[in-house]
Amino acid sequence: MQRNYSRIKNFSKGMFFDLHVHGNENVIIEAERLGYAGLGLTRYFEDYNEEFSREFDILDDSSNIIIKKCIEISCKNPEDLRRKVQKSRRKADILMVRGGDLKINRAACEDQRVDVLSQPYRSRRDTGLNHVLARKAAENSVAIELNLKILFKTNLRYRYRVISQFRHIIELQRKFKFPLIITTNANSKYDLRSPQDISALARCFQMTFEESFDAISKTPQEIIKTNKARDSFIVDGVKTVE
Amino acid sequence: MIQKLKILPPTLRDKKRYIAFEVTSQGRLSRDDIISMLLDGSLYLFGACGTANFELWVVKLWRCTSENNPETINEHRMKGIVRCRRGEVDSLKAVIPTITNFRGEPVVFHTLGISGTIKSAIKNFIKL
Repeated sequence: MQRNYSRIKNFSKGMFFDLHVHGNENVIIEAERLGYAGLGLTRYFEDYNEEFSREFDILDDSSNIIIKKCIEISCKNPEDLRRKVQKSRRKADILMVRGGDLKINRAACEDQRVDVLSQPYRSRRDTGLNHVLARKAAENSVAIELNLKILFKTNLRYRYRVISQFRHIIELQRKFKFPLIITTNANSKYDLRSPQDISALARCFQMTFEESFDAISKTPQEIIKTNKARDSFIVDGVKTVE
Repeated sequence: MIQKLKILPPTLRDKKRYIAFEVTSQGRLSRDDIISMLLDGSLYLFGACGTANFELWVVKLWRCTSENNPETINEHRMKGIVRCRRGEVDSLKAVIPTITNFRGEPVVFHTLGISGTIKSAIKNFIKL
């Protein structure tokens, strides 16, 4: 019982982030109610325009929680990926690449400018990651995303396969220590889950409490922190100081 | 060219065990039927969360010769090998007796033995 108490204490202290949310102000209000400290409001690369950036500024002013601008890139080949990353790096706070294809997974893991590789296991039987890609992701601090929407929307008969993929990714994470985040990919308020529930669900993928806490609280905070300082980086290991 | 990921080094792979089994049914069974029987049984007993840990995989199946006449093939009986993770063997062995019927016809599974390699499973339990 002692341990349970400490868990509740931790949850009241923690700052939780969900870096992959498509949606509007309703989602932001709901997330605030559930106890999130920040959201990453995501748009696809094709949908990103001036209008969204204006809309984003209004939302950012009106809400009490931290909101970050995310762009999700879906691309056909590595050249396309590099071109789109180049275009959108300065516009976005957080840059996300939708994986699934092996070449794109690899290109995203090798690119320092990418923050998150979203769903490397998308429409695959295996995880889309191996020890080589895991090592690259750790070197370039590309976070791997576990997407809960995929889990909830998969047919019950094949849900075990998704859980198994998650478990393999977590086993690789323990060895290679690349950043790992859990996101809900919510489109409406019905897709959002509270941080306590996510942590409880993560036990099904054999994550410990500390690991799941890191995945929804500590790692997203680090991603946001490095992105704030990204403009002052000149080359690897060198940054301008005020 | 089909692109493929580089295979994980042996230290990072899951450790495996092979379970040899025997299935008797009224009708003729195919490979897909046996896979779906094992999967459904496991999903009913342990749910998606438990099944995800098993790494269930039907490796190989054999048709048996009938006992009276070794020349002919017994349509009602098959033997096979199913692979799972080491440490989850007991759970999978618990799934095997729960399978009682398939498409309205009675079916029975029996475990023949557990082995660390396919070769020794064939040698000791399938006995071709």
